Amino acid sequence: MDDQTALLKTQLYAACEEACSGDPDRLFTQEDLTALDVIPPKDIKKLLQLIQILTNERLFAPVHLHSGLAWRLRPEAEAAKYKQLSSHDQVLVYEIIDAAGAEGAWQQDIKRRLNVQDNALRKALKELEAKRLVAQFTTVENISKKMWIKANIKPSSRATGGPWYTDQFLDEAFIEALQSVVMSFIKNRGSYLSKGERSTRSMSPVLPKKGIINGATSEAAIKSKKRTADAISKDETPSAPAARPRKTIRLPLPAGYMEYPTTEEITAGIQAAEVAKGQPLKQEHVQELIDVLVWDNRVEEIRMGNRVGYRAVRITKQNPSLYSKPGDEDFWEPRSNGLTSVPCGKCPVFDLCEEGGPVWAGGCEYFDQWLT
Amino acid sequence: MSSMDNFPQYASPCSLAYALALESTLRLQSGTLQRIVATLLARGRSNVRDLALHTSLNPKQVRHGLALVIQHNLVFYQTDHETAATTYEANPQASYHLVRIGKILDVIDRKYGIMARNLVNDLLMLGHVEIAELVRYHRLKHGPPKVKINGEQNHNHDHDHDPDDDFDNDNDLENGDLDDSFNDDTHYVNGNGTAHGTADDAMPIQANEVYDTLAQLIAAGVVESVSVTMFQSPQDLKASVEQECMKEFPNGIRGAKVMTEFDTMVKSQIKAIGVERATMKRKLQENALYEPSNIKRRKLANGGMSNGFAGDSGGSILRDEPNMVVRLNLDKCLVELRNQKLTEHAEDFVGETTAQVFAGLLASLCKKVYRCQHDQYTIMTEEEEETYFTGVRVTSEEIFDHLSPGVDVSTGIGAASEEDIDIRFAEKIRKYPPQIQGSHIQGTLDEGDEILGSDDEDYDRSGEHLKGTHVNGHRGSIAQNGTKMGGDYSGESQSSRAEQMRHMRQHLLILTETKQQFVRHCGQNEWTVDFGPLIQQLRYVELDTMIEDNFGRQGLRLTRILREKGKLDDKTLPAMALMRKPDVHVKMAEMEMAGFLEVQEVPRDNNRAANRTMFFWFFDEARTIKRVLDNAYKSMVRCLERLEVERYNKRAILSLADRRDVQGKEEEMLRGDVYNEYLEFIEIEKKLLSQVSRLDDLVSVFQDF
Repeated sequence: MDDQTALLKTQLYAACEEACSGDPDRLFTQEDLTALDVIPPKDIKKLLQLIQILTNERLFAPVHLHSGLAWRLRPEAEAAKYKQLSSHDQVLVYEIIDAAGAEGAWQQDIKRRLNVQDNALRKALKELEAKRLVAQFTTVENISKKMWIKANIKPSSRATGGPWYTDQFLDEAFIEALQSVVMSFIKNRGSYLSKGERSTRSMSPVLPKKGIINGATSEAAIKSKKRTADAISKDETPSAPAARPRKTIRLPLPAGYMEYPTTEEITAGIQAAEVAKGQPLKQEHVQELIDVLVWDNRVEEIRMGNRVGYRAVRITKQNPSLYSKPGDEDFWEPRSNGLTSVPCGKCPVFDLCEEGGPVWAGGCEYFDQWLT
Repeated sequence: MSSMDNFPQYASPCSLAYALALESTLRLQSGTLQRIVATLLARGRSNVRDLALHTSLNPKQVRHGLALVIQHNLVFYQTDHETAATTYEANPQASYHLVRIGKILDVIDRKYGIMARNLVNDLLMLGHVEIAELVRYHRLKHGPPKVKINGEQNHNHDHDHDPDDDFDNDNDLENGDLDDSFNDDTHYVNGNGTAHGTADDAMPIQANEVYDTLAQLIAAGVVESVSVTMFQSPQDLKASVEQECMKEFPNGIRGAKVMTEFDTMVKSQIKAIGVERATMKRKLQENALYEPSNIKRRKLANGGMSNGFAGDSGGSILRDEPNMVVRLNLDKCLVELRNQKLTEHAEDFVGETTAQVFAGLLASLCKKVYRCQHDQYTIMTEEEEETYFTGVRVTSEEIFDHLSPGVDVSTGIGAASEEDIDIRFAEKIRKYPPQIQGSHIQGTLDEGDEILGSDDEDYDRSGEHLKGTHVNGHRGSIAQNGTKMGGDYSGESQSSRAEQMRHMRQHLLILTETKQQFVRHCGQNEWTVDFGPLIQQLRYVELDTMIEDNFGRQGLRLTRILREKGKLDDKTLPAMALMRKPDVHVKMAEMEMAGFLEVQEVPRDNNRAANRTMFFWFFDEARTIKRVLDNAYKSMVRCLERLEVERYNKRAILSLADRRDVQGKEEEMLRGDVYNEYLEFIEIEKKLLSQVSRLDDLVSVFQDF
């Protein structure tokens, strides 16, 4: 390798480094490399030589793409680690683990790809581990798999399961607690808390948390107006709804309400409340939580143009208090229908039941319990 | 008939009337009718000879029984013109409706008043009957020295203030009590609170009154006049009409032109039948002002009794035709039941006041809704057909007129500052009904809607006018001179109407905004309900309720994910549901066992080893609904079976209580322990029958609405 080549090599590497400063995972194809203006144009031979050298020095890592070969830049510090490797096996194994990056490589996979003896592989891995180049970890997707990763990087969120996993286990308590936070946030922002006392006219209206309305549209005004209307027909209708003692209840907001919280707002709310300090929650994580609440039939999506907000379902049936302990029944009254209340709805031997059969309604013990 | 009067007083109206229905069919006829109907259901169309053979009755008994069941419309018959042989066929819908009688009576009571209820009750007892006879029977039975009908104490209404004006009851009854009345009678709200007079016990019933009520029911379509064609099954009817028309084409029907000619002829004939059936109804609608609005306006406007209509009303028209035969129109009753169910759901989803507004909307809408479902055999008049294809819509005014006066429309919605409300979205007009897509109603708001006209027409601008603090004569009726709040009200009732209208609109808008789309804002100040998609949503609601109850919140979560995403394998599911994999597996297996989920195995290679197989879970909607429906029927039968057993176990006591001298005064006549045991039985009976009725609610949602 003459001086000129060495110089060009350094130049090329520096140019590449600069080109991929924004995106460290950028891949360079042959065209990209020529476009860097380091190699004299059309001198493919030189380019080939340089790439060969760089690859040998582990500064370039070849990547096979559908469109052909490309190279990824490897930092010099990383490349230096290859120098510590003593055996050929170690190099091969380390290459695979290195290429796998944050996802990690499965031991079986390494073995299959290298086609080496089990103990050779184990030996190589042991040596690598001793040199603190690789580390073993487990992925949440399959706890029994032996996974290897470079020692200096952390497993990807896919492997760790993101914020929902603590030590490879789904942290259900954490999820549940966060869900109730999200729930109460949505409930609070997307409904109106009506206190029972307000039904008497003299009381001042409970002010909505956002924007106080004065004058005509305030509750008091509506109320007083309404009374006059009511007074007219009072003789015939002793206004049953008003007479009924009112409880504290959450009320739906008028149609067209634009402030139903969106995912961003909920995320911001959670961050502000500092409920998940150790685990900074990103928007996509909060979205996952909301999705689950939607599937749970606790929350529904409401679209206002481009704004996708969320609000609680059956708001008047909700427990008006915002904070419920985990495990509390969140609805005021659970729904029921014929099949949920009759013992047959839950009967484990429903399909066996018939007149004259081993089980029948006349002698059914579930009915016995239910009827007494 | 006597057994109906002695029914226990504590049973709720629903179970009571249901029991009555059962009584009347099962007990009174000592099983003859039941046997005949059951045989017809099992064997299909039969003649008297076959029936006698299979029921082990003699032909005379069969004929007698058939006459009775035909009277109740439980059986159709068809006489062949050439052979003069008559065949009989069961009418399964009508038979099933016996279960619903309690609810029907309840709904009638609420909407049309106690007298209407009693009339319908009589009608059910008598089957189809001449008007004169019905009125006579009604006066005889509900006349002064009568024994109070059980369950009535809940529903006594004051006839005393104006005995001639029984329409007055309407207002009290329309208040739409949303709770299941058979669950808890105590909060039965019907406007008059507890101050019901029982004066009607002392007052003889005026024939006029009865005629008027009957006329009202006929005009509303709840009661219909019977024509000969009603005794044939719709299929037979169509066939015979076709046969009739065939005579006009002696050369047979060949070629497209003749075919269409024939089709139009058949159609017009069938329409003619429909028109003929609706003659009396039309006449009454035209002549008498049975618009509830008339009544309502009187109340709201000035509270006085500026009685809108003179005595010359429907009653007198009916009097001229004492021989007209009438029966209950089950189709229309079903519509009323559906309205009630929908209102209950609106209450559940949104709130009480909103549900009342919804009830008002449904009441005004359903004047033009004649049945819940229809098929090719349904006989419709021109006008009815039109409403199916174009849909019915009502204006805000009409809804307001149907609002029960006790509703305080200013309640039930939270306050929000005005800048948070975007009127363009709130008042969005949707011209077309939503398309059902999976379990989701695709908001027509997303796309598509933008094409319909310019931005300006996309929403209802009248809402904007109403929104302001002052009502500026938008309706052309109010000239409120720019007074701000607290100012004087010159035309107080007028302004309050506008104000209330504004509030009511807010409720309607909330309903349009719901995920279930209870209401569609289909034009400037016009509203409609898309029953099909809405009922579909309710089916999901009922399914979800069941799943949540059986498999908990997580089970619900998993099924809903599958419903939304289609088929998923066991890897993706836990990640989406944020659940542990083993938990998911347990739940899925549980639900699969119960038939709520299905699994599909896709082997990855030829040797179908379990670990080389992918499992895809999915939710088969149609199958699940069918299964649930089936289970509901089965559970109903089991409840009834159980009831029979309980009855048998307590037969000694029941036979005692059944004695003439004990009936109605069990408490005094029976020995303490016997009475207690009797009460126990009543309790059980009540429970079982109300369960049957709740199961029927499910059946209605899944099948009939």
